[in-house]
Amino acid sequence: MAFLEISHLDKSFGANRVVKDFNLSVEQGEFVSLLGPSGCGKTTVLRMVAGFETPSSGNIAIDGRDVVNLRPNQRNIGMVFQAYALFPNLTVAQNVAFGLKVAGRAKAETAARVTEMLALIGLPDLADRYPFQLSGGQQQRVALARALAVQPHLLLLDEPLSALDAKIRASLRTEIREIQQRLGITTVFVTHDQEEALSMSDRIVVMNGGMADQIGTPFEIYNRPRTRFVAGFVGTLSRFEAVVKDPAKGAVSLGKQTITLDQQIDAAAGARVTLALRPEAAHLGRFNGCDVILPGKIAEVHFMGSVIRIKADVDGQLMSLDTFNRAETPPPRIGTEVEISLAARDFIVLSA
Amino acid sequence: MAGMTSLRRFAPLRWLGMVPFFAFTFLFLILPTLYIVFGAFRTPQGAFTFDNILALNTPSIRSAYWVSIKVSFMSALLGCLIGFAMAAAVTVGRLPRGVRNPLVTFSGVASNFAGVPLAFAFIATIGPAGLITAYLRTEWGINLRLLGFNLLSTKGLILTYLFFQIPLMILIITPALDGLKREWREAAAILGASGFQYWRSVALPILFPSILGTLALLFANAFGAVATAIALTGPSLNIAPILLYAQIRGDVLGSPNLGYALAFGMIVITGLANTVYIWLRARSERWLK
Amino acid sequence: MIRIWSWGALIIGMIYFILPLVGMTEFSLSMRRGEYSFDAYAVVLSDSQFQATFSYSVIMALFTIVFGVLLVVPTAYWVRLRMPELRPYVEFITLLPLVIPAIVVVFGYIRLYNTSSWLPMTGTALGTNILLMFGYATLSLPYMYRAVDTGLRAVDVGTLTEAAQSLGASWVTILARIILPNVLAAVLSGAFLTFAIVMGEFTMAALLDRPAFGPYMQLLGANRAYEPSALAVIAFAITWACMGLIQLVTRFTKHTRAQT
Repeated sequence: MAFLEISHLDKSFGANRVVKDFNLSVEQGEFVSLLGPSGCGKTTVLRMVAGFETPSSGNIAIDGRDVVNLRPNQRNIGMVFQAYALFPNLTVAQNVAFGLKVAGRAKAETAARVTEMLALIGLPDLADRYPFQLSGGQQQRVALARALAVQPHLLLLDEPLSALDAKIRASLRTEIREIQQRLGITTVFVTHDQEEALSMSDRIVVMNGGMADQIGTPFEIYNRPRTRFVAGFVGTLSRFEAVVKDPAKGAVSLGKQTITLDQQIDAAAGARVTLALRPEAAHLGRFNGCDVILPGKIAEVHFMGSVIRIKADVDGQLMSLDTFNRAETPPPRIGTEVEISLAARDFIVLSA
Repeated sequence: MAGMTSLRRFAPLRWLGMVPFFAFTFLFLILPTLYIVFGAFRTPQGAFTFDNILALNTPSIRSAYWVSIKVSFMSALLGCLIGFAMAAAVTVGRLPRGVRNPLVTFSGVASNFAGVPLAFAFIATIGPAGLITAYLRTEWGINLRLLGFNLLSTKGLILTYLFFQIPLMILIITPALDGLKREWREAAAILGASGFQYWRSVALPILFPSILGTLALLFANAFGAVATAIALTGPSLNIAPILLYAQIRGDVLGSPNLGYALAFGMIVITGLANTVYIWLRARSERWLK
Repeated sequence: MIRIWSWGALIIGMIYFILPLVGMTEFSLSMRRGEYSFDAYAVVLSDSQFQATFSYSVIMALFTIVFGVLLVVPTAYWVRLRMPELRPYVEFITLLPLVIPAIVVVFGYIRLYNTSSWLPMTGTALGTNILLMFGYATLSLPYMYRAVDTGLRAVDVGTLTEAAQSLGASWVTILARIILPNVLAAVLSGAFLTFAIVMGEFTMAALLDRPAFGPYMQLLGANRAYEPSALAVIAFAITWACMGLIQLVTRFTKHTRAQT
């Protein structure tokens, strides 16, 4: 049995069913992200695990113990909130010590633990500051220290980075992941930012409309999205309408060409399917290891620095492709006729 | 931009715009007050003296200040406690949303329903012939007067003042209670704190400056109230504003400059209370920015 | 559990508030022995003193409002637009009337502007009326200024002014046609509050010896039994109406803002 076991979880607010039959097992020490747009139910799931919302039905077990009927203060969980939620009337040290103090730990033990925690988050000198004297990034690190000080079984992170500006977000991302791995603490992370989820997680749960669309490692989620929603939400994709010719061989017709995919297709001959392709899988010109060559016409060029994203018109459908910037080759002009090469195995067949 | 340059050419115009305001407030707010303050330190001939201030130290004037302070403080304290309880009930007390707005609206009305008509309302209710007094006497045989309650006393004054003190507290403290973030309560809970521990260690310390500051404001509010007291008790009750009222009308103290000193004493007391209010408010806002 | 305590606090509090209102209403209807009647109201309303003092106070309230608006709107506008460095000082001055008891201010008036002074305002009825109106204006200054300043915060004063200036508008036009309409809701809120304050004000009018509604109520209270309650009901209705109008105005402007 997994460390955190969520089964058949359901939650309705009035007539609004926000979480639908949600199942998830998180192993000890694992970092799992709940990824989805706002309103997908990810925060509600987290709040039910924390005990702030009561499930309409279903079970939540932590370390083999059913916690649905336990109050939040009995669950031994650490949580970090989006808006920091540091107590404004307490200093950094008092904030970190709060959980230990209400648990009635000895003063010396508490002080030692606070020092240890402030060292862990790299802010050993700020013990006597008040929250309003700290930057957003510092506040969020203190919030993390406060959550970890009580040595919880489970750490919940509710969009902890979304209130911060881009640079701090990126550095704190690495820091949180490092601390999590060093302590080996089981962590559930809620975010709407796919980059955060992809870079930090052991596994990602992509949520849509209160349900888990796909659960998998970042590599699987990115490269083999199973639903149209996951494909659209995670990363950029070009989509093409194709007609199935031979499901068993994986043959489809795309425009005037017939392409044999690397997989069987779960649809009858003559049915329409959607093929998707990551921008980095397509290349301008002929390219080694590519078995498909499509004619196209440059429609848009976006220079983004290290990467140039080009959109080409292929048989009336737009295809995105990324090329690295190289100082000696300027980007192609709009309207240029080009050849685009790609590997058939890189096509992703999307189910409805 | 044309406006900007034309303005720069007439730089004194900037100050000209402020002349009406400063002239008015100087002539009709600051100067009259200063006149009283200086008068408190002058002999009738105009020489500087502390005699007026020292002359305040008579049993009658001392008692007038003391009763005023007592009434103002008690009505402020009770107003704070009851107002806080009611505001907490509609903000964090899990009551239906629908009761909150009517209470705030009503508070706006009641906090402005002061002065003479307020006294009439209380006389009609628990005055000697009031509704409750009569009801208790005829239906239950309880005589409030024999039990030691008299509306025309300091206790009655406190009870009446509460009618505008409580709503004022509700109006000021409700936004402060709204400022308590849900995440603080949740963060405390998830760290293992009970509801009581959350209130003791987080919520009350955060609210404390606002509560204490409002206490000071309510105190000043009651201290300067003249109309309610006069309409309720007539000139009989010996409290500072009524004494000053009588002094202005008929120089009952027998010395105009002693009257200035009496008024000066009132400014000092309300001024102190308001300084406390402003200082504590700045403190509470510092935390919450 | 918490909910029970909440209901308890709320209900006990509301009983305290409702009883005096019931008491004064009941009393005001009890003039005729053994049955309810509007006799007390009839007596009050037909009293020529009532009519005279009531209309005096209404007129004073209207003048106070006009004066207050003319004083506060340009000042608050000017502070926001050109003198932001003066803001703390202006705000402090506008809050002074909450600190200095009204009785002290009017005491100063009486000594400073009496018949033997350099500005003998209390020498004539007109002069005293103007002095009283100024007194009312100081009393309402904290509320008026705060309301208007909050209203101005919601509109971009600088941009509006520059836009109007670039179209050739004069300062008077800008204030009257651009700024005032944009803060009208705030001005009206301040105006209704001023109205409520002036109608009930006692101390200043009594000490300046003007025939206002407040001193009339006090005089009647000292001499009659049922009529004061009728007056209290009327005064409460005025306060309630003013607050209701403030709510209405605020809500109304919220709607128009949402539409644009």
